[in-house]
Amino acid sequence: MLTLWDAPKGASVTISGLKQGLHQLVLNRLSEMGLDQGQTVLCLRRSPFNGPVVVAIADCVYSLEQQIASHIFIQPLS
Amino acid sequence: MKRIILVGKPNSGKSLLFNQLTGLRQKVANFPGVTVELKTGRFDAFELVDFPGTYSMSTLSRDEDIAVEKINQALLDDNTALIICNLDATRLESSLVFGMQMLALAQRFNKKLLFALNMIDEVERFGHHIDVNALAADVGCPVSALSAKTLLGISEFKQQALALANSPTATSEPVHNATTANIAADVPVNPLVQSRKLAAKYGIKASIVLKTQNRIDAFMLNNVSGSIAFLLVMFLLFQSIFTFATPLMDGVESALGALAQAITGMIGPGMLSDFLNDAIFGGLGSFLVFVPQIMVLTLIIGLLEDSGYLARAALICHRPLSYFGLSGRSFIPYLSAHACAIPAIMAARTIESPRKRLITMLTIPLMSCSARLPVYALLISVLIPPQQYLGGLINLQGVAFFSLYLFGILTALLVSLVLSRTANDDAKSDMPFILELPTYRLPHWKPLIHRVVQSAKQFIYRAGPVIFVVSLVIWLLGYFPSDAGGLEYSYLGQIGHFIEPLFTPLGIDWRYGIAILMSFLAREVFVGALGTLFGIEGADENIAGLAANIQQDGLAFGAGIGILLFYVVALQCVATVATLKAETGSTKLVLGLVAGYGTLAYLLAFMAASLIG
Ligand SMILES: Nc1nc2c(ncn2[C@@H]2O[C@H](COP(=O)(O)OP(=O)(O)O)[C@@H](O)[C@H]2O)c(=O)[nH]1
Ligand SMILES: [Mg+2]
Repeated sequence: MLTLWDAPKGASVTISGLKQGLHQLVLNRLSEMGLDQGQTVLCLRRSPFNGPVVVAIADCVYSLEQQIASHIFIQPLS
Repeated sequence: MKRIILVGKPNSGKSLLFNQLTGLRQKVANFPGVTVELKTGRFDAFELVDFPGTYSMSTLSRDEDIAVEKINQALLDDNTALIICNLDATRLESSLVFGMQMLALAQRFNKKLLFALNMIDEVERFGHHIDVNALAADVGCPVSALSAKTLLGISEFKQQALALANSPTATSEPVHNATTANIAADVPVNPLVQSRKLAAKYGIKASIVLKTQNRIDAFMLNNVSGSIAFLLVMFLLFQSIFTFATPLMDGVESALGALAQAITGMIGPGMLSDFLNDAIFGGLGSFLVFVPQIMVLTLIIGLLEDSGYLARAALICHRPLSYFGLSGRSFIPYLSAHACAIPAIMAARTIESPRKRLITMLTIPLMSCSARLPVYALLISVLIPPQQYLGGLINLQGVAFFSLYLFGILTALLVSLVLSRTANDDAKSDMPFILELPTYRLPHWKPLIHRVVQSAKQFIYRAGPVIFVVSLVIWLLGYFPSDAGGLEYSYLGQIGHFIEPLFTPLGIDWRYGIAILMSFLAREVFVGALGTLFGIEGADENIAGLAANIQQDGLAFGAGIGILLFYVVALQCVATVATLKAETGSTKLVLGLVAGYGTLAYLLAFMAASLIG
């Protein structure tokens, strides 16, 4: 399964769900941020050496580290 | 007094609104160990309380816990006359996620709530219009549009807020059986759907709002241009601490000197004059010279934060620092610590994870601050010949300086690594790296100036009393018995002789011991104290003269290196200890740190003295 960590720069991807394994509180926060099923997010940049990704979610831009981004499932890129 | 509380998500203009409503007379309550800060001011006949920015009522870290706990208390408090929930009108969806949670709670606890639709000037700049009345009807609670920056709509907002706060509370069933513990259960599970709908109906399209920000980020976060920009910003920060602050520090020093001279001149020579000159002006002076540096540093960090760059810098630094159990946000505090540990410890407040913040604060004192510079300069010129290599490109003394700085940084990273591996506590002590990148903005000068002045005040209040006591004690011990004839025969000298066995393994005698003891006031006192003991007047200005004397006296190379390493590692600064204690809220922890770094410093000095010889 693809995750947000695999999204290339510039790609607009659709969230398909959140992976278990993160703390429930973190999962809640992520979904409150707008990372719930069916939402589209835009991958703005990727940092060298596996640094955090930058994504636009709803009206905000967030930077997420690998440990978080790799727990967010996305639909296959078209 | 009845209270109005101000809540909202971070970066939504809440603090600026608070400043506009209260003026600059505010009180700040800190909670040790967390970055939570409650600001209180006067708004009309009410007390206005600025709560920490909150993304959600469901919390991730201990800091958020405390913020939410405080909101819960306010919900239960009969004195709470009104809740103002600040919304960023340009980002309705994300503001309303918290806003709708807050509204549900306010209704449940029978509190009046007013949405402050802030940043309306920006909405207009985008050519957009929000139908405030329709929005109010849809959310089912009053909404008032305003700009805290241009003050557009602010008087109508004030009127509406005061009218609401003064109106009697509609009576409904009492909720006295509620406790703060069961409040969380009342929060609607997902306010997201509702905020999304409202944002789609009334808000600006996200792609329009984010356009400028993303365009700037394409440059600022680019691998090449972003790195250059980052290095440039950090270089400017580092330079400005020294170039802007130095004349100010010199100014403070000469002003104090002139004042001392004027006063002692008036009362004539004697014990009182000695006391004023050495204990008051000398002791407190060595501490007050750091005030300008702290102010300049606070200003620059404030500029970085308010402009939005601080979050970007954290993003850039996150990966490398995470290897050592630190956050990307640890970088600016570490860098600042090379000027002075105190503003650096304050800057660590921006670190999102409580654990990483603690580790950062505890390792900050290992960075070579500017008070160590005179000590380094003196001992390097004693020990290292001014040899040049490659036609003057490399200077041996410069290499020595650089190595000491590097040694401090590496020690800090190592200690961080060890601390992050050993500290295993609950989930809420850490916080995942989810960082909002706010819009780039021109900082507003008023709150900045306020913050700068506040930083100076806080430094003086926190560290001043203990510095005063320490300088008094050191002076008394060094002055009496006054007929003994000089520092060597004073109580301090006697103590130095008495504890000489402690310093013998380090290859140094009682004179260095006294100088090290006196450095607890501020490390640079080492130079002046050795100056007195080696018979050099005004050693601070005559480091070369003192260095020559020490060389003649014969300081073993290994012992000298040992003192240098000791000064890199030992936590000698009383002001830093006071600040750490205030910020962590734990005396035990800080005393443990002093003992730990002290032991490590001593061992390093011992190893240098015995291995190098
Ligand atoms: N254009 C505009 N900028 C604002 C307004 N209110 C606040 N700001 C700016 O937004 C930034 C964040 O404001 P601040 O009060 O620190 O937000 P807080 O995190 O919610 O306390 C600052 O740079 C403010 O100067 C406003 O009404 N209009
Ligand atoms: Mg604020």
